[in-house]
Amino acid sequence: MALFAVFQTAFALALLSLRTCQSEVLDEYLPLAPQSLNVSINATLQHLRLQWIVHQLPYQELQMVFPIEISRIETSKVIWTGNYSTTVKKNQVLHWSWESELPLECATHFVRIKSIANDARFPQLNFVSNWSSWEEVPAPTPGDSQWLIFPRSKLVEEGANVTFCYNSETNHNISCYLGDELIHREQLDSNLYTFQLTNVPFINIYGITIACWENNRIDGAVLFVSKVLEEPKNFSCQTQDYKTLKCTWDPGVDTALGYNKQPSQHYTLFESISGKKKFCGQKNWCDWEISEDFPKTYNFTLTAENYLRKRTVRSVFDLTDRVHPKAPESVQFKNVGTTNATVTWKMPVLGNYVPLLCHIQLHDKETVRQEHNVSIRVNGEFLFRELQPDTEYMVRIRCIEATHLWKWSEWASQTFLTAEAAPSKALDVWRIVRSDKGLHNVALLWKPLSKFHANGKILFYNIIAQNLDKKSELKRLCIHAPANGTELTLGQGSYQIQVTANNSVGTSPASEIVISGSSENEEVEEERINGTEDGFFISWKPRSGNMTRYVVDWCAHPQSLHCDLQWKHVGPNTTSAIISSDAFRPGIRYNFRIYELSAEKTAYLVERKTGYTQELAPSDSPQVVVRNLTSHSFALSWKAYDTESQSGFIQGYYVCLKSNTTQCHPDSVRVGLPDKSTCCKHDISDPKQKTFLVKNLQPESFYEFSVSSYTSAGEGPNTTFMKVTTPDGRSYMLMQIILPVTLCVLLTAVMCYWKSQWVKEKCYPDIPDPYKSSILSLIKSKENTHLTIMNVKDCIPDAIEVIHKSEGTKAQFPGTEKLFTESDSPKPANLYLLPAEDFSGPAPCISFENFTYNASACDSDSFAHIPVPSTALPNQLGMLASPDNVENTHTNSQEEIPAGEISLNYVSQLASPMSGDKDTLLIDPPEPVLCSEYKMQMAVPSHLASPVPSEMAASLEPF
Amino acid sequence: MDLRAGDSWGMLACLCTVLWHLPAVPALNRTGDPGPGPSIQKTYDLTRYLEHQLRSLAGTYLNYLGPPFNEPDFNPPRLGAETLPRATVNLEVWRSLNDKLRLTQNYEAYSHLLCYLRGLNRQAATAELRRSLAHFCTSLQGLLGSIAGVMAALGYPLPQPLPGTEPIWSPGPAPSDFLQKMDDFWLLKELQTWLWRSAKDFNRLKKKMQPPAAAVTLHLEAHGF
Repeated sequence: MALFAVFQTAFALALLSLRTCQSEVLDEYLPLAPQSLNVSINATLQHLRLQWIVHQLPYQELQMVFPIEISRIETSKVIWTGNYSTTVKKNQVLHWSWESELPLECATHFVRIKSIANDARFPQLNFVSNWSSWEEVPAPTPGDSQWLIFPRSKLVEEGANVTFCYNSETNHNISCYLGDELIHREQLDSNLYTFQLTNVPFINIYGITIACWENNRIDGAVLFVSKVLEEPKNFSCQTQDYKTLKCTWDPGVDTALGYNKQPSQHYTLFESISGKKKFCGQKNWCDWEISEDFPKTYNFTLTAENYLRKRTVRSVFDLTDRVHPKAPESVQFKNVGTTNATVTWKMPVLGNYVPLLCHIQLHDKETVRQEHNVSIRVNGEFLFRELQPDTEYMVRIRCIEATHLWKWSEWASQTFLTAEAAPSKALDVWRIVRSDKGLHNVALLWKPLSKFHANGKILFYNIIAQNLDKKSELKRLCIHAPANGTELTLGQGSYQIQVTANNSVGTSPASEIVISGSSENEEVEEERINGTEDGFFISWKPRSGNMTRYVVDWCAHPQSLHCDLQWKHVGPNTTSAIISSDAFRPGIRYNFRIYELSAEKTAYLVERKTGYTQELAPSDSPQVVVRNLTSHSFALSWKAYDTESQSGFIQGYYVCLKSNTTQCHPDSVRVGLPDKSTCCKHDISDPKQKTFLVKNLQPESFYEFSVSSYTSAGEGPNTTFMKVTTPDGRSYMLMQIILPVTLCVLLTAVMCYWKSQWVKEKCYPDIPDPYKSSILSLIKSKENTHLTIMNVKDCIPDAIEVIHKSEGTKAQFPGTEKLFTESDSPKPANLYLLPAEDFSGPAPCISFENFTYNASACDSDSFAHIPVPSTALPNQLGMLASPDNVENTHTNSQEEIPAGEISLNYVSQLASPMSGDKDTLLIDPPEPVLCSEYKMQMAVPSHLASPVPSEMAASLEPF
Repeated sequence: MDLRAGDSWGMLACLCTVLWHLPAVPALNRTGDPGPGPSIQKTYDLTRYLEHQLRSLAGTYLNYLGPPFNEPDFNPPRLGAETLPRATVNLEVWRSLNDKLRLTQNYEAYSHLLCYLRGLNRQAATAELRRSLAHFCTSLQGLLGSIAGVMAALGYPLPQPLPGTEPIWSPGPAPSDFLQKMDDFWLLKELQTWLWRSAKDFNRLKKKMQPPAAAVTLHLEAHGF
């Protein structure tokens, strides 16, 4: 048995030796054909993976080309041919993949390969092998598969085109949907249908579902669409301690997908010089340990990778170029004074005392005040000078490696406060002086010191007012901050006022101002100026003399109770100033006063200006009063506006008159109104004119008018119309007549009353008493002793006879015939008073000593019957009855008593209106009463009666 | 269900009656030894709460799955979800279930569903979805404990998983992503159906634990998914 084994071994060795020898001989002739071809499918990537080897490679490596052919469905249908060139090494297993557009599961694929040796180094090895046999990659048999469509799932990048397919041999009525849309299919072969999705979008990480229905059976595929992997951005590495390099980058979008189809991209750091590689667990940074014998140069490659793509970025640098110091530490201050302070800090240890450059910034609240660069190693110190007292500063420090200046450290900051100092500047002081009864009321104002000059918190202000005439008169005031003014009442004379500001450390320089004893010159004429939106440009005439500067003051809010006085100093050689303020508003009048300030600090008013930044139209209309209203005119008057309330300089007034007439006065123009009515508009261009006479009006007419003012910006509102109705002209005229007449009558009455005694004497003299008359003695002594004075009480008539005076009466008065015939005697009835029937005896006669008439005694048995002027009687009778009645009555009586039988007629002096009643008169004779009217001075016989003068007759004519 | 106007009035009257009798329901108004009643009521309330919670979760999740899974009328045949416990059962069979069997089926179903749900949570690709699923899993775990409490109160033993039938901790990888989505869809759907069924189960149990005169049952209808 052992012998057999030995023999067998010897035979094998001999055979092997023979084969080796044989192969060496055939090396030159055997083709280097691909062997052991294996084809598989990567369903996820839809790749055909080819794997083969090349046996008997004569050299360690050889450059070769492998032509490959791929057929689909049957070998004759070649769908792809190509070459794969590579350097083949001895005993190397070769791999090659081909990505199929059509899902590999949809159809059987066939692959064959051959080789070409084409290495320039070995020209003798120039050969081409034969094609290998076709390798079949079978598609799933329809009967074995429950799936309808392929690929089952696919992972693609956004924007890719994807082809799905299904075999229709067993799936006859298949319909595929994307969402609710039926997908259009194409027939690729007799039983092979495909459909393609182009430019697929990213929708969500759970992919797009394609659902296919066949009768009641459902299947589907999920297309996972990944966002395109982005290249990492801003990749850089740096160290802060020479121990660790920290590399950072911006990763871009996350390409992770659901169902674990694709995780987030991962990052790998590879350093090519050292050959080290590190998988980075974070998506945007990675630490790299620096070895103690650290190399000077690093060559990093950062690779971002997902299932679909790789992206790489590189960074090559020297380590010393990438030193990024840490922020300074322990920032502190020492020796902090009013203007100086020292800052100290410490740097974290960075290698072997690497030189550092530190950047120091000194900030106050507003801006950077100082910047310095300091070179240090570990500890830094710097002295700040020229600081402001009582100011909070912030110090910021950062450092950089001084040699390569790669990157500044983060800032380290700290604050400190300098000490207080005395205020450094005198206050800006101004005043308003009001003189009253010899006293000066001084409103003293000052502007608070800026923080820059206050040098600390101002606690109070000291004010000293000294009478320059009486040096001993001194007033001291202490005003606590934050007041910025006070009021002083000073006596006569000039005063020097000093104001100082005080903080906890000291006092500011004194600010002086002198209040003159004389009152301010208020007679300076005011000049108008035009402002703009930016303010006012004010100029004034240059002044000569001993003056130091000008001061312009104004009220920032002239319409408010506190005018908020502002002032501005202007140099002595300047005669203009631009006054601007945020407080200026359009339509507000601002008054500016320009003072010159003498060397003695006394202010003298030199000019006054007034103006608007922008004039506006008046906001209201004047209050108008109507005066002197007549039938043809009326006058309007109004008061001037308050100057402060004017929204512009009043340039004049418009009087707008509405009337029914169509014509306007020549001085006016017809304008339309907002309510579509019209009015006649008169322009009063003189703003001082405050009255206007509206004339040429119609009596008893209705008018409406309005008065509005206007400025350069326009007219004020004229919406309020007042109504006027002109009166009647006749009544007016009547009033003009009646009034003077009434006045005259009254005047006359007063005069009469005043001269009543005189009038009475002239018109109604006292009746003389016959008993006291002198003629009585004359009668008694010369003619008839029987004559006596008749007492009126004794002359009571018995009857009254009324006789109608007819034509026939002419014959009864022969002596007077001619006179009465010729005269146009009145016809009205005459009143006769007849004696009673039982009356007998001589009746006493009345005789007057009246030199106006030729009075004579009358017979006792005869009565003078004379016509009586009817001036009184008609009126008196008229009250009782009509003249006709009276006449009739008289006629009847006349028939009973024949004419001419009566020798004497007596005219009663007791005729009273009250006794005028006809009946009463006849039945009940009235009691004799004293005559109230005296017509005839005496009873005379008819033959003695004097004819009535023609003048008198005329005066007796009735109306 | 075909509702007419008359039916609406009838339902309104029924609802009013229910509200009128609500204070008299012993299960809600008992003193002394509470018995299993309160536990059943709590379990019932928890199923209703989970129904509400699942409605929101399923809406979000199905939107992630995309069409056609989030379409309201999507009603696919049950594919690849055979291992999920089925909630649908013949009405007569359901009526004939005794309390123990009824509770046991509920317990077993939720045990399985919770298992699958945790697998779903691990696959979720967004943090928001993971949070929602985790929250729901916690609630479902609570329901499971509540059912166990009711069973203990009634003296029923908890079901022991038979060897070989114990559900794996998470379902295995689906043969395709489409079927995976389908599984997720069916998981949510079965979960919904089970919650409806449980509500009816516990309502029935609750009714049984109450005196018949005061028993009021609220009939719940399961609507389409």
